[in-house]
Amino acid sequence: MRILKETHIDFMSKTGLAGLLSAALIIAGIVSMVMNGGPKLSIDFKGGTMVAVNFTDSVDINEIRSAIANVSIDGQTFDFSKAEIKYFGAVGVDALLGKLDETNVAVRLASMDNEPEQFSQKFVDKMAEVYPELVPENRAEFVLSIEKVGPKIGAELSGDAVMAILSALALILVYISIRFEFKYAVGAIAALTHDVVITLGIFSLLGYEVSLAVVAAFLTIVGYSLNDTIVIFDRVRENVKALKSATLGSVINQSINESLSRTIITSLTTFFVVLILFLVGGEVIHTFSFAMIIGVIIGTYSSIFIASPVLIRMGANN
Amino acid sequence: MQHSLTPRYLIIVVILAWAVYALRPTWQYQNMTEDKKEELRTAGELERIESRIIRQGLDLKGGMYIVLEADIPALMGNLASLKDDRLETIIEGAQKKSANPDVDFFTAFEEDVKTDGIKLSRYYHEYGASLDDIITALKDEADDAINRVLEILQNRVDQFGVSEPTIQKQGKHRIVVELAGIQDSKRARSLLQSTALLEFYLVKNIAVTNEIIAQMDDVLREKTDSSEQPGPEEKPAKKDEKDDESTTVSELFGDSEPVTGDISQGTIDDIFADAPFSGLLTALPGDMGIEEKNVYALKKLLTRPEVQSKLANANGQFLFSQDAQSATNVNTPEKYYRLYYLENRPELTGGIVDEARADLGTLGSGSAGQPVVSLAMNSEGSRTWSRVTGANVGERIAIVLDKKVHMAPSIREKIPGGRTQIEGFADINEAKDIAIILRAGALPAPVNIIEERIVGPSLGADSIAQGTQAVLIGLALVLVFMLVYYKLAGIVADFALIWNILLVLAVLASLQATLTLPGIAGLILTIGMSIDSNVIIFERIREELRKGKTPKTAIDSGYDRALTTIIDANMTTLIASLVLYQFGTGPIKGFATVLFWGILISMFTAVFITRTIFSAYVSRKTLTSLSI
Repeated sequence: MRILKETHIDFMSKTGLAGLLSAALIIAGIVSMVMNGGPKLSIDFKGGTMVAVNFTDSVDINEIRSAIANVSIDGQTFDFSKAEIKYFGAVGVDALLGKLDETNVAVRLASMDNEPEQFSQKFVDKMAEVYPELVPENRAEFVLSIEKVGPKIGAELSGDAVMAILSALALILVYISIRFEFKYAVGAIAALTHDVVITLGIFSLLGYEVSLAVVAAFLTIVGYSLNDTIVIFDRVRENVKALKSATLGSVINQSINESLSRTIITSLTTFFVVLILFLVGGEVIHTFSFAMIIGVIIGTYSSIFIASPVLIRMGANN
Repeated sequence: MQHSLTPRYLIIVVILAWAVYALRPTWQYQNMTEDKKEELRTAGELERIESRIIRQGLDLKGGMYIVLEADIPALMGNLASLKDDRLETIIEGAQKKSANPDVDFFTAFEEDVKTDGIKLSRYYHEYGASLDDIITALKDEADDAINRVLEILQNRVDQFGVSEPTIQKQGKHRIVVELAGIQDSKRARSLLQSTALLEFYLVKNIAVTNEIIAQMDDVLREKTDSSEQPGPEEKPAKKDEKDDESTTVSELFGDSEPVTGDISQGTIDDIFADAPFSGLLTALPGDMGIEEKNVYALKKLLTRPEVQSKLANANGQFLFSQDAQSATNVNTPEKYYRLYYLENRPELTGGIVDEARADLGTLGSGSAGQPVVSLAMNSEGSRTWSRVTGANVGERIAIVLDKKVHMAPSIREKIPGGRTQIEGFADINEAKDIAIILRAGALPAPVNIIEERIVGPSLGADSIAQGTQAVLIGLALVLVFMLVYYKLAGIVADFALIWNILLVLAVLASLQATLTLPGIAGLILTIGMSIDSNVIIFERIREELRKGKTPKTAIDSGYDRALTTIIDANMTTLIASLVLYQFGTGPIKGFATVLFWGILISMFTAVFITRTIFSAYVSRKTLTSLSI
């Protein structure tokens, strides 16, 4: 079976259009980030507390919101009604089928200067008081998860994440420069930056949080997109030697066409597995798999429409 | 190729045998019943099996991950032989600066000391004369403290009884604690965080206490009058009510009914204005009480500098009771803490505990049926204890743990032999935990929880179910696709893929790596991505076939030409996963590990194993066509 017969698509003539599309996506993402004051960061980077609890029956978020508008812990009164409260675990297939699980609730609180001792635990106790009759008999089952990140750790993790992405890019630049030529590396890095910026922008547009797991997804996208770019570049390198008289543009076109069926098959298999992860993997890795879905699409696209045109530009300068 | 196939078979068989060997314990363990596990545990064999299985991360098994940071500024305060505002300001300033992750506390501390021109030797004369000497010595002291904290925490956790706890130092002043399968995170947290500083203070007598409360009111009232803008209607009222106020204070100590019941809202406001300190208090039988909602306000008042200096001059301190309780004989939902006015020097302090045991109070004693901790002191402690109790018969002595008063009994007679009991625990578990931490010793520096991640057991179980489901569906999808698309060659690729997954798991088991939920995601991603190597090869072979080559030469040149592409393309993902491993904590590291091995092994299976199969297939008969 073959999906594609031999193709002779002139990809490089469509780079202008692709450039517009990319520019539009990037600008939309950046505008959204500027308007929201940067990407929406999870507590991993911003610090704060996130508590997810499990009631035995459906609960109403608005009731919870008004119940925690006036909470007294250790003599301090807090108003948590502005906190982000949502149902937890209603993602993937269930969400698509409209099966909202309204028994699990997650609350996200910003970090506070005057946080009482054992705050997260005491907050869980307050949550239990909202619907005392709906708390599981075995109290240990009530808490699904608690995450608390101090502001200092948050700042450190942000620094680490930025460093990780930058050092991955730098190492890759070096590797490609050694294995190929510097101009190939520039093309690859342009594509990667494009991928990460667009994924970040889409996250901001959709109001998804950037967490540690999402940064991990970004790095994986970097690896994946590059994988795709290199397969094409490898063909280009081979064909440049074979077809000395042809222009770089036509060589690249031919190389993309030759590796097109591989590109499509690999992208499809990877796309399907991350889609399945997105659909049945559950709440905890939901944003991770979403980032991967975006990344697989953008990464495949950028190998053809970003990395290759940049390579042509760089080649023309030489 | 056919002449060199035998060593290839050998390598493949050896690796397969190794994979089966490496995965067997995991397989056994997964299929073991709890009874069988218990049986093996008593026989001492379970540990050997457990050391060879793929561990599940906290996000799958449920448990808690806590990062503790030693409170170095507090330690510096404790180490100083002399404490004054100037030093405190400097420590506080350095603490604020070190909130920035790039600034080290000691660097900031040293700078501030220099700019202020303060002489450190006044405060830390035991640690040297010159600034450099003292700073170095203090740094050593801090390093030493964190090591002792580590040891003590290990001790506490061991006694608490958690399976496979991990307690590690991270960086210079941090400790990471991982406790799998913890059900009661509250207990575990107190166990880790209590400093376990045990102190015995004499309680000041009623007259002195009344005196200081009146003084508190005075000093705070002055402050309010001068600094804040009082409402015009409040001012004239004050002077007239001064007499009232003093009676309120003395009433606090009568055995009278608590006064809260019959005070209307208006008069409460007046009392707050007029008696900012005592207005927050309530009389409880025998003690001062403070309603839970007022605690924070009172604590804030107590941190004011004018209050602090007043207390310092009087050699006194206010401490709260451990728990809030409903006032006896009053039917109200309000809970009260007891407030104690104590000497500010302890008569006896921690480090004297020889043995601590949790128990229920014996019949006939005041604490019958209540959880108590029985202490036995060492000889030095016993001597002091007997002297202190002997000299203060009739006085009350407060037993204070981590600056909270557990009880303040009256001393009836001299207690020789260094035995005593502590009451005031919520339940027997709390008493047990306190006994553990008293045995393990006090922490040399307080520790703060700076990061905490808890996954409940039900969420972990859900994650395993969902992750496994995603892996199986993803795998099935890719296997079917390859079979349909590449026919016979697809079967070879499928075989390689299953191999790949087995090998990744075998490597995880033998590295004793931890499988986390992101790790499962990595496995799924590996399924999707590792097929790539075979796709590259197969497409190449198809291309060669289209050029009219024979199956055998097509396979050979297909593999040869695809090899560099595969290596170059996968290298970059390997680089990304190595960076990720370096950067990530727990779950993310799990992802990076799986991705790294998944990609590495996929290169091996695609290039080595499938090629061997193809070569064997081609060499058997004279092929005219290839099912690809």
